[in-house]
Amino acid sequence: MSNTYLDQFPAEAKVVRAAFYSSFFALAIGGLFGIVQTLHRTDVYRFMDSADYYTVLTAHGVLLAITFTIFFLVGVFTWAVTTSLDRGVENLRFTWAWYGLMVIGTAMAAIPIFAGFTDSIDMSASVLFTFYAPLQGHPLFYLGLVLFVVGTWLAGVDWFRSWRAWKAEHPDERIPLPTFMVLTTTIMWYIATLGVAAAILLFLLPWSLGLIESVNPLLTRTLFWFFGHPVVYFWLMPTYMMWYVMLPKFSGGKLFSDPLARVVFVLFLILSVPTGIHHQYLDPGIAEGFKFIAMTNTMFLLLPSLLTAFTVVASMEHGARQRGGTGYFGWLKALPWRDPVFTGMALAGLMFAAAGFSGMVNAGMNINYLVHNTFWVVGHFHLTVGTAVALTFMAVTYWFLPQITGKALWSRPVALVQVVLWFVGMTFMSNAMHRAGLLGVPRRTAEPQYEGVTFEAAVGSVGELNAQIALGGVILTISLVLFFANVIATGFNGRSDELPSNGYADALSGPEDAPLVLDNLKLWTAIAIVLVIFAYTFPLLSIVQRGGLFGPEVITFPVSLESLAPIAAALEYGGLATVDGVASAVTGALEPGRIAIAEVVR
Amino acid sequence: MGALLVVVAFTVPLFVELRTVLSWVGVELTVLESVALAAVAIAALLVWALWPESDGPDSSNAG
Amino acid sequence: MNVHTYEKLWLIAAMVLIVGFIATITYGSVGLGIAMVGDQQETVEPTELADDERFGEPRVEQIGDDEYEVYVVAQTFSFQPDPIEVPENSQVTFHVTARDVIHSFSLAGTNVNTMVIPGEVAEMTVEFDDPEVYGVVCNEYCGPDHHNMEGQVHVVPEDEFDLTEVSVDAPDEVDAGESATVDVTVENRMLDGLETTAELEIGGETSVEEVALEGGEATEVTFTVDPETLEADDSDVEWAVTVDDHEERGTVTVIDAGDEDGGDDGGETDE
Repeated sequence: MSNTYLDQFPAEAKVVRAAFYSSFFALAIGGLFGIVQTLHRTDVYRFMDSADYYTVLTAHGVLLAITFTIFFLVGVFTWAVTTSLDRGVENLRFTWAWYGLMVIGTAMAAIPIFAGFTDSIDMSASVLFTFYAPLQGHPLFYLGLVLFVVGTWLAGVDWFRSWRAWKAEHPDERIPLPTFMVLTTTIMWYIATLGVAAAILLFLLPWSLGLIESVNPLLTRTLFWFFGHPVVYFWLMPTYMMWYVMLPKFSGGKLFSDPLARVVFVLFLILSVPTGIHHQYLDPGIAEGFKFIAMTNTMFLLLPSLLTAFTVVASMEHGARQRGGTGYFGWLKALPWRDPVFTGMALAGLMFAAAGFSGMVNAGMNINYLVHNTFWVVGHFHLTVGTAVALTFMAVTYWFLPQITGKALWSRPVALVQVVLWFVGMTFMSNAMHRAGLLGVPRRTAEPQYEGVTFEAAVGSVGELNAQIALGGVILTISLVLFFANVIATGFNGRSDELPSNGYADALSGPEDAPLVLDNLKLWTAIAIVLVIFAYTFPLLSIVQRGGLFGPEVITFPVSLESLAPIAAALEYGGLATVDGVASAVTGALEPGRIAIAEVVR
Repeated sequence: MGALLVVVAFTVPLFVELRTVLSWVGVELTVLESVALAAVAIAALLVWALWPESDGPDSSNAG
Repeated sequence: MNVHTYEKLWLIAAMVLIVGFIATITYGSVGLGIAMVGDQQETVEPTELADDERFGEPRVEQIGDDEYEVYVVAQTFSFQPDPIEVPENSQVTFHVTARDVIHSFSLAGTNVNTMVIPGEVAEMTVEFDDPEVYGVVCNEYCGPDHHNMEGQVHVVPEDEFDLTEVSVDAPDEVDAGESATVDVTVENRMLDGLETTAELEIGGETSVEEVALEGGEATEVTFTVDPETLEADDSDVEWAVTVDDHEERGTVTVIDAGDEDGGDDGGETDE
């Protein structure tokens, strides 16, 4: 008789299963759109109008960066809390309620996005994942995002309820590590989503409904990045959790250090949010000093990731030595490379190291000039969210599936080939994206082939880079097909009694070595909030002071083809002049401020 | 076999960037030459690992 | 807390690395002078750019010996002016704003790259050395035709560069037997003086006038064309005005008495 998660918590296993399947559904559509874009952009195969590329890109971004990752996260976190506290959720209906809210939110946001493909429905939200105003999506899009986020907030409430109930029964015990990770991540998420909630509820939604006439594009953009950077840690934290509490188990050993794991998550809690301005290094209207502060905060965020690298590798080595590995590097041979779960996670971790290096370049404030908004950035986040996160999720799915279905995985060899193919495909694709970015090839464009702009490759040619990207995309697609084949075929398997038990890795150095202060969530929350106030009060005040809370008058730009004609006509006609000339009385008093000198790099 | 598969996968990034590294010392490879070089290297790796006489190939230790 | 020795060493190495990164970035800012696009510039009203002192006329302006300012407006889906022409060995300060949505102004393959946000003005100073043509792309998604938004910056040899504006006022039609006057306005927007010629070619005859202008001056040269010159086989007489490498062309229609056939593509042009 097995002792899987399904056996322990049959009702919760259904929730986790629903969350995972929702996540995979988003992955399937998002992945399909991924290959469509790859082939379109590289001009290998184009079957749609280039204007539709941006609709595909919006769906790809929202479905993969938000839906796929966060649905998987709520599944993992629910598993982690129930397993590590050894108690079911407090109220199953509440749990299903937040899951339902997330599904409704996703559907509401998806409707206007997909309506963008057809002219027969007067609805569109081709505003990309970042929805920068004055580009304007359909109100349903913003409303859907709000509901989705509220769903995640309630999920957080669910996990906190479980913890409080557990704490009442175990007053003197340390918070189990997986629950600790869930709670710190959730607090970080609450703080981070305040930004996007403010952007949408105060500005974008009323504006799309016509309640307010104008918005301040720099303000909504800044509020977006207040959320937009920590959201990457929201994807990454469940990944880190898997590396900390599962990878040592799959390597055959124990987690190296429980206290250090707690330190890492506390650091992410306090440093994730006050860094968002590093996405705005090149924004006019934000003073250089604020950018410098964001840069130093960002660099210090390297610390928890570097600590993680140490702990993960040390845990793997411990596991390998338990399995009989010896020597300085010989122990590597003793690792279970035939296990797709282990191999996928190890390869994901390795790719994340590469992503860390390109991330350091992005974070380098003045080096960022060279790569900002180029294809380099796309290469970077296909290594982070596209591999470190996605590949870890896929690999660990091969362990989770039997746990939540009670059925044995359909094929481990296929799973092994799948994770290795992902690594190979992403190597080709991401490498060429980075290289193309260095030549100045922009991101987010349907046709990076210009009449008057040439990109000069130092080695090889742009054509070769495109071929490499297309090849990578095709390999990744094959990998995805294998993944879904495995997930679906597993569903058709019968119940098995020979499955491994539910559980996670023990620690060599356990929670008893961790100072009590680490578990003081109130303290860390307070510090996190103070840091956010420090980092954001002055930039936000300055932005509002410069451009006004609701901005200068901007031209609303609904993203659909039909609406372009009247706007163009209005521009020609010049009938846009307004009465309030007061603000425009720029008396020629150009500030004699410092001169920015950027040498042209040749 | 698992470890061997991973090692083969690892040759990919090496050979993808080999062109860049070689161009620093003035050696310009074409795509075809890179692919050929990678194929030779992977073949050599496989022969080394799977040679029957070989004592203790990677595959025997892999889990 | 029980921290392993290796882990302590790793921690120290990590901190050294981080501090090292921050130091290099700081050196880039302070030592090399690579400043960030900041908040030096006053905001603008995106809907009133036409009346704006800075952006009413997107242009290149000389402010010092080798110093220029360029005022650029980005809008769906083009840049103004395009191409932007500046001389070699110059220090050029770009001021860029957006008329509608968020764009970028990015010289491909260089680190000249800035976001362009409606209401805000991005300012960045760039040193150009040798003559070269740089492609400019918008690298922020700005709508369905985003991929067609491009421009160019031409860095030209010093002796090919000027900021001369030429406009010609010529009649569309003249009555047969009467003379015509062609007014040529030459404006020198450079700081240095300009000595050149204005040349009118009409009906196979060429007349030349000397033009001498101080920096920032404008002058008008008037050519009077004799009725004989306008006698041609065709009733349409073509003309061309040339000042250095600026050329304006047009046609004058000579109307015979009783012939009411007016000219169609006549002459008032403005560069």
